[in-house]
Amino acid sequence: MWSGNLKTAIGSLRQRRWRTIFTMLGIVIGISSVVTVVSLGYGFKHQIVGQINQLGSNVLTVRPGKVIDKQGGVSSLNLYSFLAPSTLTSDDVSSVRHLGLVSSVAPIEFVTNVASGDNGELDNVFVAGTSSNLFDLLHQNINYGAPFSEDDADQNFAVIGSDIAAKLFGVLNPVGSTVHIDGQDFIVHGVLAPSSGGFLSIAQADYNTSVFIPTAAADSLTSNHSNVLQILARVKPQANIDQAAARIRSTIAHNHGGTVDFSVLKQNELLGVTDQVLGKITNFISALAAISLLVGGIGIMNIMLVSVSERTREIGIRKAIGATNRQILNQFLVEGLALSIGGGIIGIGISYLVNLILRLYSSWHPVISVPILILAAGVSIGTGIIFSIAPALQAARKNPIDALRGE
Amino acid sequence: MALIELDEVSKLYGFGDATTLALDEVSLSVEKGEFIAVMGPSGSGKTTLMNIIGLLDRPSHGSYVLGGKQVAHQPAAQQAKLRRDQIGFVFQFYNLLPRLNVLDNVALPLTYKGMTPVRRAKRASDILELVGMRDREYYMPYQLSGGQAQRAAIARALINRPSIIIADEPTGNLDSQDSRVVMELLAEVHRQGNTILLVTHNPELTRYASRVLYMYDGTIVGDEKTAIGQMARHARRIFFRKPRTTDNDIAAGVSALIRDVPDKALNPRAKRGRPPKVKKPARRRKAYRTKN
Repeated sequence: MWSGNLKTAIGSLRQRRWRTIFTMLGIVIGISSVVTVVSLGYGFKHQIVGQINQLGSNVLTVRPGKVIDKQGGVSSLNLYSFLAPSTLTSDDVSSVRHLGLVSSVAPIEFVTNVASGDNGELDNVFVAGTSSNLFDLLHQNINYGAPFSEDDADQNFAVIGSDIAAKLFGVLNPVGSTVHIDGQDFIVHGVLAPSSGGFLSIAQADYNTSVFIPTAAADSLTSNHSNVLQILARVKPQANIDQAAARIRSTIAHNHGGTVDFSVLKQNELLGVTDQVLGKITNFISALAAISLLVGGIGIMNIMLVSVSERTREIGIRKAIGATNRQILNQFLVEGLALSIGGGIIGIGISYLVNLILRLYSSWHPVISVPILILAAGVSIGTGIIFSIAPALQAARKNPIDALRGE
Repeated sequence: MALIELDEVSKLYGFGDATTLALDEVSLSVEKGEFIAVMGPSGSGKTTLMNIIGLLDRPSHGSYVLGGKQVAHQPAAQQAKLRRDQIGFVFQFYNLLPRLNVLDNVALPLTYKGMTPVRRAKRASDILELVGMRDREYYMPYQLSGGQAQRAAIARALINRPSIIIADEPTGNLDSQDSRVVMELLAEVHRQGNTILLVTHNPELTRYASRVLYMYDGTIVGDEKTAIGQMARHARRIFFRKPRTTDNDIAAGVSALIRDVPDKALNPRAKRGRPPKVKKPARRRKAYRTKN
């Protein structure tokens, strides 16, 4: 019975080829955008979680904005803290560095997003000032050259990401070349190994598109108005991490006149924050994408209603030769489902394509996981049932003689 | 025990002022194996009667017993099953589904019975052999002539071995050659023991019938048993009478054909010579049409 219905449905959908294609298009767009958005969110999370795990559990991260509530849990996130300029300063960095409980400290100061090399200028670069031990802290390998050392703090040296190396110089190993940042020349001292991880919470930038310069140089570029995005501190193995966090908190609070306008995050808290931020953003964008799914569903309903009234006579004939209302209902339900499931399958296919393109041509790494696929399948089946039930009921309830007479 | 037992069945259409009485307390008893021809002018209720007997429509009043069971007010699903198993329809315009080939069209009632595709196809193929359409199995309906399409439709009506075949003007759209083929086929089906109800305007076709009903204004005004092969007596009268148009008719703007209604000829109680109420059928037809 069901296979017969499916055959009938496919036959009638093929009969009206263009109409079917355009109706499916709504579902295709809806499903592919939802899947892509969710997989992007999932991919970001994956990258960042990997990055955080790479840091190790004894690294504390200090970030501007207060995200930890009084109980010590992650407070419901307030996105305003991301809009404000950083409240952390280089003084805070040196204060933390002088604490006995930490073994190494590295700041990340945002400088600019423009850099140029032999091949021209790039404007999606993350130029950051940092100290020489950052790479060690991040467990980030250097492929060519070497990181700048503590002694080079006042030198115009730069360590660049592998993507930047390729884009600015067109070679894998541009060590010794010159990169121009804000009118100053920096000598490429090292090239980072390609990394899959993104910057902690700085979603777009990852190490592959970063240029690191010593803090002193960064300060001179920004005339000492450097914008400290975060401070990473590795706690000494023998020290208690909670104690260290408390010490760092009180030290920086002291610098800030007692105001706690920053957060000191342990690994698991960092994970929590990441989870929440990405969860919120993903949900929000998915909701927008879901609207297109809704519109697609309404398209299905519309077309099914048209189809039912066009095929009034067919319904009449089928009823006259013994089809029950339920059998007519099933026929049209299967047709609506064929539309939405077909659209869903094509949509999933397209999101795989988008996934591939994003992986090839951008620094994003979307991940289409099984739960996303189950979600997409469920949503397309649900859409099909919800939006074709009304037309199918209309068909099933037609009076056979009126239907036979109708044209 | 009669196969079909209608008792004072009425059918009303519309509401209030626009109410139309399509069937007016019709009582009818049909035995198994009868070949009944139903005649009468347009709007006389022939099709309504067939729809009620065929369970496509429900009577407004009265009772309908089919095969010993009261069926007029059964739930829709039950009626659908009865239509599927007991009744075969043959329509004037064949009503084959245009997107299915002949074989699938014929097998369609079996689909609703839940039969497997292979058995369906075999059975449909056998029935098509019976109606001489075996070589047209994979033709689409638009590739068939009228006579072939109607034979396919008869095959579809026969496939569930129904006890009743309802044929509503099956030859209305066919030339005389095809009409003959289709009627011979129905006669053959009748000889196999089937009950056939045939609506027709053609008095010639009463030759195939064992009984002829004449309808007018929603009532059965004549019921005549006739020998198969003979044209029914009253039908012959309609057939041979020449249309006459009097001056009165011309003044009234009415075609002689409408005046030529059979009730005068058939109803023994009607007095001859009285001018007919010519407006009646016209109004009825209109009311029937405007409903929708």
